[in-house]
Amino acid sequence: MKRPVVWLAGALAVLAAIPFVFGPLHTNLMVRLAIEALFAVSLNLLLSYTGLLSFGHALYFGVGAYGAALILTHLQGIPILVAVLLSALAAALVGLVLSPLLVRVRATAFTMLTLAFGQLMFVLCSKFREVTGGEDGIMGWTTPPLALPGLFSLDLRQPVNIYFFAVGLACLGILAMWFFTKTPMGSVMISIRDNQKRVDYLGYQVVLTKAVIFCFSGFFAGLAGAVYAVFNNLVSVGGVLHIMVSFQPLMAILVGGIGTFFGPILGSGLLLLLEEVTQAYPELALMISGVIFILVVMFLPGGAISFGARLRAWWRKRAYLRKARESEA
Amino acid sequence: MRVLQRTIWWGVAATVLLGVTLGTGPAQAAGAARGFNASAVADMTGFDPAKFENPSGDVVKIGVLAPFSGDAASVGQIYWATGTWVASDINRRGGITVDGKKKKIALIKGDTMGKPANTKQAVEKLCLQDKVDVLWGTAGSHLTAIIQAEADKYKKLHLNSGSLSDTLMEGKAFTPYTFQHIWTTHSVGATLAKFFATRQERKFYILNQDYVFGHELAESFKAGLKKYVPDAQIVGEDFHPLFNKDFAPYLTKVKASGAEMIFTGDWIPDSSNLLKQSRQMGINLPVAGIFLDDINGLIAVGPEGSKGLVFASELLINFQDGIQHKWHEAWKTWAAPYNTPLYEWLGSTTGAYAESLYWLLDAMERAGSADAEKVIKVWEGDEWTGLIGQKLTMRACDHRVVRDTYVTEFVSPNKWYKDCAFMDKITTIPAEFVTLPQPKDSSRCK
Repeated sequence: MKRPVVWLAGALAVLAAIPFVFGPLHTNLMVRLAIEALFAVSLNLLLSYTGLLSFGHALYFGVGAYGAALILTHLQGIPILVAVLLSALAAALVGLVLSPLLVRVRATAFTMLTLAFGQLMFVLCSKFREVTGGEDGIMGWTTPPLALPGLFSLDLRQPVNIYFFAVGLACLGILAMWFFTKTPMGSVMISIRDNQKRVDYLGYQVVLTKAVIFCFSGFFAGLAGAVYAVFNNLVSVGGVLHIMVSFQPLMAILVGGIGTFFGPILGSGLLLLLEEVTQAYPELALMISGVIFILVVMFLPGGAISFGARLRAWWRKRAYLRKARESEA
Repeated sequence: MRVLQRTIWWGVAATVLLGVTLGTGPAQAAGAARGFNASAVADMTGFDPAKFENPSGDVVKIGVLAPFSGDAASVGQIYWATGTWVASDINRRGGITVDGKKKKIALIKGDTMGKPANTKQAVEKLCLQDKVDVLWGTAGSHLTAIIQAEADKYKKLHLNSGSLSDTLMEGKAFTPYTFQHIWTTHSVGATLAKFFATRQERKFYILNQDYVFGHELAESFKAGLKKYVPDAQIVGEDFHPLFNKDFAPYLTKVKASGAEMIFTGDWIPDSSNLLKQSRQMGINLPVAGIFLDDINGLIAVGPEGSKGLVFASELLINFQDGIQHKWHEAWKTWAAPYNTPLYEWLGSTTGAYAESLYWLLDAMERAGSADAEKVIKVWEGDEWTGLIGQKLTMRACDHRVVRDTYVTEFVSPNKWYKDCAFMDKITTIPAEFVTLPQPKDSSRCK
């Protein structure tokens, strides 16, 4: 059997076993990891692959989350997958609407514009209490089961069921983004990051490509938001549109490894682990995570994913120097 | 004759024994009424919330849901100071008798960070991992709604000591596992309106936090004014985000409105920041509120800045003996962050939190179990005497407390603090004027 297939089978077996080995608390933790990893990878498409730093990615996450909350509250009986996909499409639509403005700017201007749009949505949702519930948010809707008529019906309030639902969607989403980076359009995306002018001169549609990327990235951020809404049975402006929601995946990318595809997943896991460990010391939690972030940026700029490679390089260098010393002696 | 004498002696002996047994718990049989007994409070010498350690062994676990980090971390400190006080007091008295044996009280923190998602996670951890018997919290009605839903899901007893919204215990939101000890927005509105009916102020500016509690409180205050002060005017109304940093835009509007009084339901840190910034801007209008007992904030504006504030509460402790004396003496040795004037005396907020816990533990002891279903049976309809000797009734059908409420105007000098104005005379508003009517949509209340 080929090695990647063995790895994949092993990973799937571990994922399938988690809810049965660990209790509901840790199963819920894995659901959060799935949501945050999906969200971080969607931002990573912009940051690592297109070279665009967004401070407003919570916009798409929030639209997805509010979309799911509103659909499930007002459209009784809608299948859960339809609700989630419609919410993700709403986020993609927001990406499409904003793209005429966003595609024309780069660097700091792009970052500031995304920040502005993110904050605009935050304020709008805070003020339209009648629709969004404002600071209180929307909660308490009846989540329909994940069902195929005549085959199965899974109650998503059960930790095991929501786990498979969230992890399944996250895996599919991440896989779709992985394949996207391997397509010709994915190559154009990387080229835009490296030299946008040259790509333009070569005749590629930079503006159109960027617009597609915004929609694609927005779709998966919205999907993460929709799963968040289903999992928490609660959506509030502070929880899904706050500026810190935009910074969370950014932190995951930087801690996990910028410029890599899987770094953000690792980063999300590490941040979640850190949050769990520091939970016992809530007064110190923010300080501890701040110090760790500074240490990673200073001493491990490639992120945690580069740790193995750096260790191997250090080990090789050490062995080489020892050999050199021995041969000199 | 000898039989009669023997019967009387046995009767006397049994009564004494019963009294002694009950007297070792959080409350004792003082006459016929159940309630808090200040003289039973343990010697609290050496107690310090910063150095509280949980007892080991078979304990009653209380999960404390509060913001222990973030913008409202000071609220978490208030919960912790009060919770550890009650737990230490009960533990020094040997604990409470549940399941046939004495059990001490352990407290476990659940950090809500003041955010909905974190609140849900904290509850899950307390219920699934720490396996607490009781959830106790929290500031923010939107967060309490989440705790209520989770308490119902995990069938855990939930004591709400910090969220006032009327709607929390109504309609679909009601759960038999939650008891709302704190007064409600309706009561606040009615209390202050009834108080202002006897005063000169007629132009009010409402400035509240922009979430369910702030909006409900504004409506309650307006309804109260309409009923008790029909000639009063609302000259302006604003809602600001929670944990707001800049009140200048709102205060500028207040100044221009010609208001005679600012009405706010803000809790710390917002209440103190609002007060400080208004004084810094030269706006010395009196403020009427329900969380103005942040002494550190009052000291920051000094006696002149805090004079004339109107403070309403469900509990005003206007004596310095009993539990108040023991708290004050213990406070003298407390370490940071509890060594500030905010904790010098058992205040309205700390007092009400403590009262709610004492009552819960008393109900638990009388139920003889920490099991939620058994405690619910005892607590529903329970009549209890509170910290200042007032009558409290836990209304059976909606789990809300029927009680008198209190209003005071801060004056300087006073017997409490030399660096700020504080309470002196207290006006009592009888329960009949301020009690929230029973919800009409509840089948339990018919």
